[in-house]
Amino acid sequence: MSSFQGSKINPATFNRSQIKFYLFLIALAVFMIMPIVFMFSQSLKPINELFLYPPRFFVDNPSLKNFYDLINVTSVTVIPMTRFLFNSIVVTGAVVFLSIVISAMAGFALSKLKFKSKGVIFEANIIALMFVPASVAIPRYLIVDGLGLTDNMLGHIIPLLAMPVGLFLIKQFVDQIPNDLIEAAAMDGAGNFTVFRKVIIPVIMPALATVAILAFQTAWNNTETSEIYMNTETLRTFAFYMTTLTGNLENKVAGQGIAAAAALIMFVPNLIIFVIMQSRVLDTMAHSGLK
Amino acid sequence: MLRRMFRRNREMMTGYMFVLPWILGFLLFMAYPIYFSLNMSFNKVIISSNGIKKDFIRWNNFKYAFLSDPKYVEELLMFIKSVVFMIPIVIVFSLLVALLINQPIRFKGFFRAIFFLPVVITSGQVVKELFAQGAASVPIVERYGIIDYLQNNLDPSWSEPIISIIQQLIVILWYSGVQILIFLAGLQKVNSQIYEAASIDGASPWEIFWKITLPSIKPFILVNIIYTVVDLFTNSLNNVIDLIKVNMFQIDTGFGYATALAWIYFMVIFTILLVVVLVFGRNDDYNPRKAGR
Repeated sequence: MSSFQGSKINPATFNRSQIKFYLFLIALAVFMIMPIVFMFSQSLKPINELFLYPPRFFVDNPSLKNFYDLINVTSVTVIPMTRFLFNSIVVTGAVVFLSIVISAMAGFALSKLKFKSKGVIFEANIIALMFVPASVAIPRYLIVDGLGLTDNMLGHIIPLLAMPVGLFLIKQFVDQIPNDLIEAAAMDGAGNFTVFRKVIIPVIMPALATVAILAFQTAWNNTETSEIYMNTETLRTFAFYMTTLTGNLENKVAGQGIAAAAALIMFVPNLIIFVIMQSRVLDTMAHSGLK
Repeated sequence: MLRRMFRRNREMMTGYMFVLPWILGFLLFMAYPIYFSLNMSFNKVIISSNGIKKDFIRWNNFKYAFLSDPKYVEELLMFIKSVVFMIPIVIVFSLLVALLINQPIRFKGFFRAIFFLPVVITSGQVVKELFAQGAASVPIVERYGIIDYLQNNLDPSWSEPIISIIQQLIVILWYSGVQILIFLAGLQKVNSQIYEAASIDGASPWEIFWKITLPSIKPFILVNIIYTVVDLFTNSLNNVIDLIKVNMFQIDTGFGYATALAWIYFMVIFTILLVVVLVFGRNDDYNPRKAGR
């Protein structure tokens, strides 16, 4: 077991043989970071730079004017912005937590427990994965309406909980866990719930963190449920609010700057969640105690 | 004997209990809507204030899509072509990055974070905004005339695909985040004793890669291809989905026709995945039906 690669990461000394790897990685990393740098610089550009042709990548005279404009626009609406923010936080939190629990439980059962028709369930999941979400919008509305979830906070949450991608990724991870580990735990007297809680969950933490990020993405950026299921203005989410705000302004010259600022504000929580979760996600199997 | 049966029953029960919440959600928000849309695709659907009016027209929606629709087939073919091109690039690229990150270098965590970062942007509102603002093109490439150089010095049949890849490069790189992660997980599971043994026996790094690394991460390659196909096909930035959405609210075509388009699209994805699974999942280690039993 001492052979584990993870213990060897980050060698203590810098070695000349590493240079070639750095060259590649740094070059590629620049490409990956570019869009984010662009978004920050775009939101700081004053009007005359936004319409510069050919467009420049970096801002020359950064100003916070776009953000002041954004605040001005939001202060004239009847409902305070914090209301939408509150909705979004509640909804996103609930979706992330519940969808992780549901997918992890289902992933564990489909991978390690024996019961009938689990093959069918997983195949149905893959099929759902392939389906274009837009084409089921209307039947979904009928169901949400039938359950009485329109104009209800739960209408934001419940439709997002069955996450096919989440189940897919988690099951693939659980598949990699050797059965010996589970049998060893069972031998020590652990029931299925204990195995799930004490063995499976810690081991698939990286997969869970990945799914958490994906679930956060869907919930936080989701405008569809506000648009379709909610009639009451106060129940709508922050993402929806932002799109209406910029949607009305898009054609005006001043709107461009506000849109850039709004895009940045929408994006920052994504970044924060990412920074918080990334160490767990990226540990992959390193600390899983397996191998 | 009796006890064993009891135990098996109990395992089945817990099994169902674990999956139950998921099944409920799935039936309500996936299975029924999908069935409903299949039903609609054979109808002409008119949605008005007094409800939904259906008119059964058999295969006419599908016929119209293939024979009369001015845009659909063309867009679909174009998209399939570009996807077939992009999948190997995404897979090879993410494998390459995963291999690089798995090398004994410093700042591993930092690089892993950066390559996973695009996953946070490539969804939802943000990425649309980015595209609208033109962040997806590579300014450096255009500024230094690399494209002109390629156009002047290469045969068009070669330069055109290369140029289109360069122009889409960032987008392709953006779609590799989760794949890199999956490959890394796979690479870290390979026992390093095998590497040591191989190098003692005189295998070159090249041979080690082809004979040890690649076979041992084969299941992850399949997972990655499936993930990439699904990711590319269902993301909101593609023209075919736009077309489906547009048709949904058009009076003359309507919801029924839009769902028919969605079903054709679905069958295409399904076929591609089937081919992928047949090619890559056929022999030895990996079989989605048997995995995990």
